Amino acid sequence: MFNKTVSGTDSKEFETIIGPSVKVKGDFHGVGNITVEGTVEGSLKTNGNLNIGQKAKVTADVEAKAAKIGGEIRGNVKIKEYLEITSTAKVVGDIEAASLSVERGAILNGKCAMTAATDDKKIIRPKAEN
Amino acid sequence: MHVYIYDSFLNQKKYDNILAKLETRLTDLGLNGKIFRLGIMKNIREIVIDELKRGATTIIAVGNNKTVNQVVNSLSGFNVPLGIIPIDNQENNSIATSLGIDNEQIACEILSARRITRIDLGLASNRYFLATAAITCQETILEISKNYSIEIIGPGEIKLINLPINQRLLLTKEKSNPQDGTLELVIKTATTKRLFNKQFNQSIFSVNKILIRNKKFPILLDGTIPIAPPAEIRVIKQKLKVIVGRNRRF
Repeated sequence: MFNKTVSGTDSKEFETIIGPSVKVKGDFHGVGNITVEGTVEGSLKTNGNLNIGQKAKVTADVEAKAAKIGGEIRGNVKIKEYLEITSTAKVVGDIEAASLSVERGAILNGKCAMTAATDDKKIIRPKAEN
Repeated sequence: MHVYIYDSFLNQKKYDNILAKLETRLTDLGLNGKIFRLGIMKNIREIVIDELKRGATTIIAVGNNKTVNQVVNSLSGFNVPLGIIPIDNQENNSIATSLGIDNEQIACEILSARRITRIDLGLASNRYFLATAAITCQETILEISKNYSIEIIGPGEIKLINLPINQRLLLTKEKSNPQDGTLELVIKTATTKRLFNKQFNQSIFSVNKILIRNKKFPILLDGTIPIAPPAEIRVIKQKLKVIVGRNRRF
C-alpha cells in the first residue's frame, strides 16, 4: 500500500498514482497530484504536488509545484515552491526550487539553484507632489 | 408514456410474484405503460425506435446490469431518460445500486420522483458502457495517447471506471465521478503469490481516451458484455439522461 503523505492542493483533479508494477514511457503531463512508486522514463510534469516513493525510479526531467522525493531520479528537477528530499533519495541531475529541504543520507549529484517564489508582487509608487 | 423492457430471464416462474407486485405498485403510482419482454427474436433498438415515434417519454430497463447495458445501447442518439428497476441479486445490479436504486420497491418511488441527471458514458469501439470496462493485465498493451504508454509488470486486472460501482476499487479518497468527463484507469496487480491474504498494488490514471490491445483476452463491459480488442475506449461527456435516487454514489 502507498504512503500518501503529500498534502493535497485545492485542485479537484483526481490524484494519479503510478504503482510499483507499472512503467510509464514517454511524456507524462498530469494535472493534479501525482504519486510515483513505479518507473517513469521520459518526462514528468504536473501543476500539482509530486511524491516520488522510496522504490520509484524516474529517468526523466521533472517539473511540479511542490515535491517530496524519496526515490531515484535521473534528470533535472524544477519545482516552483517547496522541494523536500528525504534520506532515501538519490538525485542525479540539476535541482531548481524556491524552498529546499534535504535530509541526512540523501544523495545529490548536480547543480542546485534557488529561484524566487512565484507570488506576484505589487509595486507601490508614491504619488508625485504638485 | 413509460415503456418497460423486461429481460428474458424474467420469463422464469420464480419471478412471477415479484413482477406482479411490481406492476401493481407502478399502477398505484400512475406509472403504468407498455411492457415488452425480450426474447431471441426481439430487437431492443427497433422496439425503442417504434415506441419513441409513438410518444414514449421514458424507457425503463427491468432486469440486471446486462439489461441496462443493452437498453443504454439502444437509446443511442435519443434524448429520452433511462429508468432502471433492478430484479435479481445485488451483485448483478451494481449499476442500479450505484445510481441509488437498491431494489424494485425503491425503484418505483424513484421513478415517481423522476430525479433526472446527465451522466457520462464510455464508448468501447461501437458499444456504450455505463460503469466499467475490464480486462486482464496478461498480454495487454495500453496506449493512452501519442505521448506515453503504460507497461504492466505482473498479473492483475485493468479497469476503466465511469460509474463507481464498488468504491473498494479505488484506494484514494476521491470518488470516481460519472459527470467529470474522464474515465479512471485502475491497474491492480498482486504483490504476493499467496492464496490467502493477497496484497495488491494499485495504479490510477485519469484518461479521456485509451487504446487497449490484447490478442487473447476480451474486454468485459459492465461485467457482462465481452468485446474483442483492439478497442479504442473514450468517454462521451453528459451523454445519458438517467433517473436516479437520492442515495446515488456520486
